[in-house]
Amino acid sequence: MKRKHTVAFIAVCAGLSLAAACGSGSGGSSGSTSGSSASFNAGMTSVVNASNHKGGVMKLALTNTGDSTDPGNTYYAFNWDFSRLYARPLLTYAPQPGAAGLKLVPDLATSLGQVTDNGLTWTYHIRSGLKFEDGSPITTKDVKYAIERSTAYAPDVLPNGPTYFKQYLADPSYQGAYKDKTPDKMGLTSVDTPNDTTIVFHLSQPFSEFDYLATLPQTAPVPPDKDTGANYQTHPISSGPYMFKSFNPNTGFTLVRNPNWNAASDPTVKQLADEIDVAYNVSAADVDSRQFTGQLSMDLDGRGVATAGRARILGNPKLKAQSDNPTTGFLAYFALDKQVAPLDNVNCRKAILDGADHTSLQTAMGGPIGGGDIATTMLPPNDTGYVKSDVYGFLQNPHGNVTKAKQDLAACGKPNGFTMNVSVRSDRPAEVSAGQALQASLSKVGIKLQIDQFPSGQYYTNFAGAPAYLKSHNIGIAITGWGADWPSGFGFLSQVVDGRSIKPAGNTNIQMTNDPQINAMLDAAAKNSDANARTKIYTQIDQKIMANAEILPIVYEKALLYRNPNVTNVFVDQAYGQFNYAVMGLAN
Amino acid sequence: MITFIIRRLISAVLMLIVVSMATFAVFFLVPRLAGQTTEQLAAQYVGRNPTPEVLHAAIVKFGLDKPVYLQYWEFLKTIVAGENYDTGTSLAHCPPPCFGYSFHNQQPVWPQMLAALPVTASLAIGAAVLWLVAGIGIGVLSALRRGSWFDRAAMSAALAGVSLPVFFTALLSLALFRDTIPLFPDAGTYTPLTENPAKWFESLVLPWVTLAFLYAALYARLTRAGMLETMNEDFIRTARAKGLRERRVVVKHGLRATLTPIVTIFGLDIGLLIGGAVLTETAFSLPGLGRFAIGAIGDQDLPEILGVTMLAGFFVVFANLIVDILYAVIDPRVRY
Amino acid sequence: MAAPLEPLGDPVGSPVEVQPTAGVGAKAIQGRSLGQIAWMRLKRDRWAMAGGIVIIVLVVLAIASVFLQKAGLLDIATPHQNLINVNTDAPTGFFGGISLAHPLGIDPQFGRDMLSRILVGAQYSLLVAFSATVLSVIIGTVMGVIAGYFGGWVDTVINWLMNVFLAFPLLLFAVALTGVVQSIPSGSAFGLSGNTLRVAVLVFVIGFFNWPYIGRIIRGQTLSLREREFVDASRSVGARSFYVLWHELLPNLVGPILVYSTLLIPTNILFEAALDFLGVGLRLPTPSWGGLLADAVNNQYYSIDPEYVLVPGLAIFISVMAFNLLGDGLRDALDPRSR
Repeated sequence: MKRKHTVAFIAVCAGLSLAAACGSGSGGSSGSTSGSSASFNAGMTSVVNASNHKGGVMKLALTNTGDSTDPGNTYYAFNWDFSRLYARPLLTYAPQPGAAGLKLVPDLATSLGQVTDNGLTWTYHIRSGLKFEDGSPITTKDVKYAIERSTAYAPDVLPNGPTYFKQYLADPSYQGAYKDKTPDKMGLTSVDTPNDTTIVFHLSQPFSEFDYLATLPQTAPVPPDKDTGANYQTHPISSGPYMFKSFNPNTGFTLVRNPNWNAASDPTVKQLADEIDVAYNVSAADVDSRQFTGQLSMDLDGRGVATAGRARILGNPKLKAQSDNPTTGFLAYFALDKQVAPLDNVNCRKAILDGADHTSLQTAMGGPIGGGDIATTMLPPNDTGYVKSDVYGFLQNPHGNVTKAKQDLAACGKPNGFTMNVSVRSDRPAEVSAGQALQASLSKVGIKLQIDQFPSGQYYTNFAGAPAYLKSHNIGIAITGWGADWPSGFGFLSQVVDGRSIKPAGNTNIQMTNDPQINAMLDAAAKNSDANARTKIYTQIDQKIMANAEILPIVYEKALLYRNPNVTNVFVDQAYGQFNYAVMGLAN
Repeated sequence: MITFIIRRLISAVLMLIVVSMATFAVFFLVPRLAGQTTEQLAAQYVGRNPTPEVLHAAIVKFGLDKPVYLQYWEFLKTIVAGENYDTGTSLAHCPPPCFGYSFHNQQPVWPQMLAALPVTASLAIGAAVLWLVAGIGIGVLSALRRGSWFDRAAMSAALAGVSLPVFFTALLSLALFRDTIPLFPDAGTYTPLTENPAKWFESLVLPWVTLAFLYAALYARLTRAGMLETMNEDFIRTARAKGLRERRVVVKHGLRATLTPIVTIFGLDIGLLIGGAVLTETAFSLPGLGRFAIGAIGDQDLPEILGVTMLAGFFVVFANLIVDILYAVIDPRVRY
Repeated sequence: MAAPLEPLGDPVGSPVEVQPTAGVGAKAIQGRSLGQIAWMRLKRDRWAMAGGIVIIVLVVLAIASVFLQKAGLLDIATPHQNLINVNTDAPTGFFGGISLAHPLGIDPQFGRDMLSRILVGAQYSLLVAFSATVLSVIIGTVMGVIAGYFGGWVDTVINWLMNVFLAFPLLLFAVALTGVVQSIPSGSAFGLSGNTLRVAVLVFVIGFFNWPYIGRIIRGQTLSLREREFVDASRSVGARSFYVLWHELLPNLVGPILVYSTLLIPTNILFEAALDFLGVGLRLPTPSWGGLLADAVNNQYYSIDPEYVLVPGLAIFISVMAFNLLGDGLRDALDPRSR
């Protein structure tokens, strides 16, 4: 969905051009750019323009407004990355390029979580002497309060974020901070704060990947007396190197240095630029043009340049040397809804997988560079559990296998094909194109598709995510995309193949996978503290889904990101599949 | 005169009420006619976890469960009396005319529109100055030198001007004068006038010229036609017969009579534009009312849509009112 | 806002004065009707005639394309991936992939035949523009005639109604309405579905909100005609209101209706293009000119594949220009004073 993710780009640390790449993460003190660093994909394996030069105004832009600047109320990947500048979570990912960047490191906390009680209790200690922007001390009560007020418990006020805490903590009936009647609003019994630097989480079931939840911006401290609820987004009280100076819900916001932030307490971020401006609602074409002319330091969205920008970069060796092409950890796919006949028959689903023209789908998504590599599995290569496999031979028959598809149709009892609707998001040109590409390729085997376009704001709530709607409107194929909320097979699979996660609205298990075996495997993985054993389970689930032809994978998404030569410390943060915004600065 | 103005004022207010009712009806009824339930309407504003409880809370919060007339009444009340809004920690009050709180970003609508208004006003007024000077000047010259090389060239250009979609000329001008020849590198990055007048000017030159090109073409055609008609009138012949100099005849008598109908059209045009130059703002990424409106429609944010439609309607009605009154003052034939 | 409504301001400025009695023709040796005189004048206007010829060609092409499409000679949907550069999306061939098989090239990303797309696009663009114009003209004429002829409170009410319509931010309304109705999926609404539904919505939205412009002009014309002797004469011999309206007034309104219809069509072509630019249009892969141009502009194809921008841009420009030229010529021909 909105959350984009991770890359396990097989990057080897040794032998990189910059010492900073795999070492301490801090570069030299000068702002000089070494020529070797400015090459295509340099930011994938090294820190480009490593520098500690201070000053300048960082100008960032978004084509929309994002979901919210409130750390408790956001599900956008760029926000999870960017908000670390003003809202420090308990843990975060190591600020290093390559696979090293997938490692969890303490941020607000002093170490990773300590597990006791057979995996049911997780304890964190936070650094002492931390202060908010107004100079008041940060305590674990502020962290507990932040979780109480987040989307997990108060979705009526802050609706946009994830709800994992409610799912895994022992007190799921808690009504959220805003309805909390206890005097100090500390009513969430599953979180204890025995002293100002200790916080203890009590889980309802063992969950071996809980540390990943501690990286969510929802764990960034919020002082209860400064919380303004729905208005907190206009000025989140900073615990990081920058703080809000101004905010306009339609045009953007400005961050300035936070005088009460102490660099020594916070090795994962840097305070280099004097000011950071974020402009909202800039047209996509404009964002790209302004990136190339240098008026914009960077595109904040991290989805990469649009079609014209891509052609410009690829046609100009100088621009190409200033760009990176990471996989985003996102899988684009068509979910095949098993409740819409004749897709209840596995052979009819196979006909779609075999008949699809994978190259034209890839082109529709933006080609090998702008779109990504043709996908043959459900798990993207960066999540744990991915094992390369291509049971349908997508790569041998990139234009589809019409003969095989016709055999499938015959086996399904529909030798002349069938008619069906496919849904795409109207405001996403790549999806609209992919719909047309599928329509064109399947018409060759006799499957007639009609394209239905829906606004993305309602796509999951009312259309593709509403199983009854799909069924009643004969929409058997729905395009969707998914990225793990954290870089593991569990982070990817739990929301899309768990039969118990099917919902009447806001459903993300669109293909309606409800296999008791898969459900049991997910439960077993959550409990298992052996990471290797978990990984094996994820692989098995992936293979089951593909064997059963429940989805038609399109591409493992890639983004073509432009690196402004004036921006320092640029590298792809593999945990987020985009640049790390927390350490960037300006050369002048 | 006073009664005339009062009558016009009452009519203007009535007109605004009808505009608001129609807008409300369209945005309230059409989605329901299209088969969306109250739950589905609420579902767009509750993020990705639309559990029944959350949906119910949203429906109550936005008042979607109330009958249509009550919802409309609430809307009118917010304009006159403001509205209270539960932020979770306190009751926020937005003073009138507040137009309610956005469903989407939970911020009061009125300040958001106020922030967008200077952008659109800068665009519209700057362009208006350009097109009035260029359009009327070219129109008069064309009329006076009817059939000349200048007349033909100007009128061909004018015809081309009204035959091109404005978003096309906008993108062409950006491609040419920003990306290829960077004359205006900051075009498309709006800077408020109060912050940096030079940058404000630079960022708006291309939008002004693009928009003015379209209108200048139109006004040149109008002026030319009007001027030709006027110059054939008897009073012009009389003026010439009196021995007035040609320049005086043209400016004092001809132009004056020609401009009267143009004032009417100008009033309507500028009123419509200040309400949101949707296409130009979209093409140039200007954060004005037009873009605000398009965003509101995209989010199906009813309070924002109502607010911006009302504001746009207000400008048209207000401009009409001014034109009517001006007319009554300058043209003695108008009965009131 | 501006673009779509623009040229509509024009008519208000110089209303047509149609001479009800053929004054000029009466002096000639053989009497000529008003229509004949206008036709003679029009024939002498080379630009207007050129516009007229272009329009005829356009209409013939659009109609022919319906049959060509049915015969399978036009293919708007089949991609030619092998002719596309996968990394830039641009056609690999000369200037947008022009070849014998694809005389106007192919579109970027898919490689679909542009000639087919532009011809089929003409069907929809002209269909929407014509139908919307007819709708506006019908409503506008009926309302204008009623207001002008009956006067009094009827006139006041209709006049006020027209002002209300003019106060609507038309483009916003159009985008919102079309958007809402278009999100009705494959199913149907109001007994229509698919592209038929979309065309119907576009026609309704563009046509319904535009009628006051025509209405105002017709009302003005009716007001002046009402006081003419021939209407008085008709009434004095006991003719009913309907008879007077139908047999005396309407024939005299044909001129201005014709002129403003011709001038309204190009406005509506631009209006449809604007709606496409703002993201509401036909069901894919069905093309319209506005949709093609909007696609090129929104994806910044001008830098990769200028031909893709040029073809729909020229199509719109030429047809809008042709209608404007013909409209201007018609106005001049029907109104000797405005030359």
